[in-house]
Amino acid sequence: MFGSIFSWLNIILKRDLLIAFRKSSTYITPLVFFLIVVTFFPLALGPQESLLSSLAPGVIWIAALLASLLAVETIFSDDFRDGTLDEFFISLEPSFILVFAKVLIHWLITGLPILFASLIAAIVLYLPFESFIPMLLSLILGTSFMSLLGALGAALSLGRSAILSAIIVLPFSIPTLLMGTSVISSSLTNQDFSGFLMIMGAMLAIGIPLLCLLTVEALLLNYE
Amino acid sequence: MGSPPLFYNWSSKIIPWLGLLTLLVLLIGLYWGLFLAPMDYKQGDVYRIIYIHVPSAILGESIFIFMAICGFINVIWRAKISGMLLKAAAPIGMSFTLLVLVTGSVWGKPTWGTWWVWDARLTSTLILFFIYAALIGLHSTIEDKTKADRAVSILSIVGVAIIPVIKKSVDWWQTLHQPSTFTITSSPSMSPDMYIPLLVCLIGFYLFFAYMLTLNLRNVVIERESSKNWVKHVMDQESK
Repeated sequence: MFGSIFSWLNIILKRDLLIAFRKSSTYITPLVFFLIVVTFFPLALGPQESLLSSLAPGVIWIAALLASLLAVETIFSDDFRDGTLDEFFISLEPSFILVFAKVLIHWLITGLPILFASLIAAIVLYLPFESFIPMLLSLILGTSFMSLLGALGAALSLGRSAILSAIIVLPFSIPTLLMGTSVISSSLTNQDFSGFLMIMGAMLAIGIPLLCLLTVEALLLNYE
Repeated sequence: MGSPPLFYNWSSKIIPWLGLLTLLVLLIGLYWGLFLAPMDYKQGDVYRIIYIHVPSAILGESIFIFMAICGFINVIWRAKISGMLLKAAAPIGMSFTLLVLVTGSVWGKPTWGTWWVWDARLTSTLILFFIYAALIGLHSTIEDKTKADRAVSILSIVGVAIIPVIKKSVDWWQTLHQPSTFTITSSPSMSPDMYIPLLVCLIGFYLFFAYMLTLNLRNVVIERESSKNWVKHVMDQESK
């Protein structure tokens, strides 16, 4: 039984990754967007090193949130438009796995590039080297949660304006933003940041089953 | 309650009574709190805004819990009435949350010396306000209202996670905002002659919510069933 679930997951992952890599804009766009947003802050606030390094956690996290929301409406919209999504639901394979695979793909094409870009951002914003690991850990957990939320927003606003999904998702992303920036800021002042990471991990652990199930519900709304 | 015409007729009968009761309790509570209750020795008369601030805060949060329960029922059992209740409750909850933020600012200016601080409780209440806005915004973009109800139900289940955060924000973080006024487990930190009018106000606010919810639900029911015969019948009767 589990074998068939994994092969189903495997099929969707392979197919979607192939589609994503044939169109380089899907994974380049969030990366470039992230770096451009980061660039704006030194230009707007001035290049003082002390100012930038204290603002770096917030800047990196705001840029990461916005960049991961950028590709949100593409999670389901293409498959919905050409009828692939219909076929997925007709196939009677577990739709939970389908949503989970879509979230994973979204994280691979936005969250993962953002992780690499955040290293560049951290260097140019003078973030101390000791804070790099906490930053990466918080971004791994946080962007995954954003992909889950984004999938729900995309499913709820399927076939409607793209900006709607961002408006829906943004208020719900505030806890992630708070926890993520707290991780980096506490590492800046040499405080213990593991508590914030644990909360982010707990959010992710609850979010994977709950948000995926709710996303399935939201997708099914379009087939009544 | 099950059938819309039955609800409509039944609610027509109870609305005047509910309205009267609400008015009575609110008047008693507010008069007692704003005029009769003793003055606070530190804050003076400014503290009296809590007779509006605290009940609206409790309402803003409990209406969201109410909506999430309705949403849960709507998603699992597809009960249409729970979707309508959710839709009817949302604007009321959002108004109360706005009222909390406004009365809090008005109180904060003379007491803390600022309209707004980025404190955990204030910020989490602001997030609640944004979540209300997201729910109402999502509902208005979906044409099919039954589907809109379900979409909002799904989102309200996610959103309810903010409620324990608001509730616990004063314990988890060092904040400027004082600890909860109401606790079930321990005796109130206020003197009874300040506390009892607050309880009366709270009951009055809940009654007001019940009153507004019934009015709103009637509108939603009429709007959804506008093509049915009984609605035409009712409208003919009322326009006479």
